Amino acid sequence: MSEMSEMDIRTVPDMKTDGETVLQLDHLTMQFGGVIAVNDFSMHIDRGEIVALIGPNGAGKTTAFNCVTSVYQPTRGRILFHGKEIGSERMHRTPDRITALGIARTFQNIRLFSGMTVFDNIMTAMHLRRKSNLFTQVLHLNGEEERKNRETAWKLLETVGLTEAAEELATSLPYGKQRLLEIARALATEPTLLLLDEPAAGMNPQETDELGQFIVRIKNEFNLTVFMIEHHMNLVMDISDRIYVLDFGRPIANGTPEEVQQNPVVIAAYLGVEEE
Amino acid sequence: MRKKSRKPAVLTWIIVAVIYAAVFAAEQLLPPSSMLFTVLKKGATYALVAVSMNLLNGFTGIFSLGQAGFMMIGAYVYAIFTIPAESRPVVYQYYDGGLIQFSLPVVVALVLAGLAAAFFAFLIGLPVLRLKSDYLAIATLGFAEIMRVLIQWNNMGPLTNGSNMLRLYPSFNDFNIRNANGEVTVYLSTLVPFLIAGVCIGLIVLLLNSGYGRALKSIRDDEIAAEAMGINLAHHKRLSFCISSFFAGVGGAMLAMYQTTVQAKFFTTAMTYEILLIVVIGGVGSVTGSVLSSFLFVAASEWWLRFLDEKQIIGSLEVPLLRNGFRLVVFSIIIMVVVLFFRKGIMGTRELPDLFREKRKEAVK
Repeated sequence: MSEMSEMDIRTVPDMKTDGETVLQLDHLTMQFGGVIAVNDFSMHIDRGEIVALIGPNGAGKTTAFNCVTSVYQPTRGRILFHGKEIGSERMHRTPDRITALGIARTFQNIRLFSGMTVFDNIMTAMHLRRKSNLFTQVLHLNGEEERKNRETAWKLLETVGLTEAAEELATSLPYGKQRLLEIARALATEPTLLLLDEPAAGMNPQETDELGQFIVRIKNEFNLTVFMIEHHMNLVMDISDRIYVLDFGRPIANGTPEEVQQNPVVIAAYLGVEEE
Repeated sequence: MRKKSRKPAVLTWIIVAVIYAAVFAAEQLLPPSSMLFTVLKKGATYALVAVSMNLLNGFTGIFSLGQAGFMMIGAYVYAIFTIPAESRPVVYQYYDGGLIQFSLPVVVALVLAGLAAAFFAFLIGLPVLRLKSDYLAIATLGFAEIMRVLIQWNNMGPLTNGSNMLRLYPSFNDFNIRNANGEVTVYLSTLVPFLIAGVCIGLIVLLLNSGYGRALKSIRDDEIAAEAMGINLAHHKRLSFCISSFFAGVGGAMLAMYQTTVQAKFFTTAMTYEILLIVVIGGVGSVTGSVLSSFLFVAASEWWLRFLDEKQIIGSLEVPLLRNGFRLVVFSIIIMVVVLFFRKGIMGTRELPDLFREKRKEAVK
């Protein structure tokens, strides 16, 4: 076991970059009773970047995601999206409003709508952007909108290569394809920032490779900024512009893949320091 | 994009049309006292209420047990506003003819019955819909009980007639067309409840097939994911709750028409359980299933299983156990068998058009 205890970890400050900041975490802290899941975490993502958040299990990565998407209300600190505050201890927004702002996410443990077809899973995510109201929808007077949405949904299925399975139940898909469907569903909410929570979990090396290319492709195609949590180091090193490393809730390093890879603190966190 | 086959939809429409034609024809040809019509009228009423409960429990995933309460509100609103002015002194004999001295057309009163139920749903939905699963069920059950007591409260008498029954309002039999001598020329007393239930269930099906329907189903499947996809949980749950209650209210009004009298003590928790049972037997998440099982349930309880409540003598042997109340024992056993061995009910989550489609791949879990 690691000899390094929580006390020894030093918080590393965020480093400035030149781009236009899309998402910024400002001294974010999330405390559950006595457990500090995220501790004084500052970071930012610029437009068009792919930024990865890595760290050992239980480091607080998903908690950080949940704070950004308003699943949790941070104990201290602020979250800014395009310079506007979207989360802090004072603000309590429901997650759907964050999605409406243009932040979409996928889940570590896949959360598809199990009773619906692949196609309907995507259609559901477009509900948010509809202009028609209950009355026109029930009486099916929104034909034009419905047709457009169906076309968009179909294009998204083409993007992820799932057109063949459109009418199948979402949960009947193999694991890897369920992950792709989750990404397609997130894209259907028309985000500008995409949060991916371990998109390659459970994938083999070849699938992981393809996923990396896929993420870069959709990033360019849909003008996205991507923030992802990932354990597959090859994928992270391949496609990320910058990486943040969390350990016991604290940011212990950040920088380009090369910088992070050679950082002794990171190596220690992952492998444990040698015992005396 | 692939085009969907229209064949299942066409076949469904044909089946529905045939059923309506058959109901109309049967009514003209068979004696009106036939047990069949009792079953059809009550079945249509229960079908609407069961589908409205399924909208909430099966499609939105909200476990509510307030159905009888909303039906009662609907039944009372309908009865209160349709009793003819000249009959009011008789009905409200203990309350000086009651508070309201006018009466509305049946259709207006039906809509009003639904709106009143939806309004109460909106009010109690504000606090209650924050609760989850069992707690929500208990809270809605409590609401129904409170309403039942409140309506029977003496001070409410001028409006609700207290614990006395409301009667002499238009019932299903008043839809029959009569000639000048008072003889029935065209029987419509069964077709009209079928039409009311048909229109309402049709609206619910349209809702379920719209974007809102998908949003409701997504809440049922995974609340967290639904919210992450931008669906406002509070708003959509409240919507579902109010719409379900609206149709429960209309169903309650239909029940009032069927029974020809309304009394609060009739709308017990047991009624909610009956409807829940219909929903479970039909298939949680299937409109077709709820409709089918409503008719089966009503037929069984009012007609086919009646003999269980009476002494039966075969030859010289008296069949053991048969006596008043035994029907309910048999019913309970059927329920247990369904819950243990046919958990998906008659239809599962399939609908009538699905039966004409090629089979979809089942989920691997």
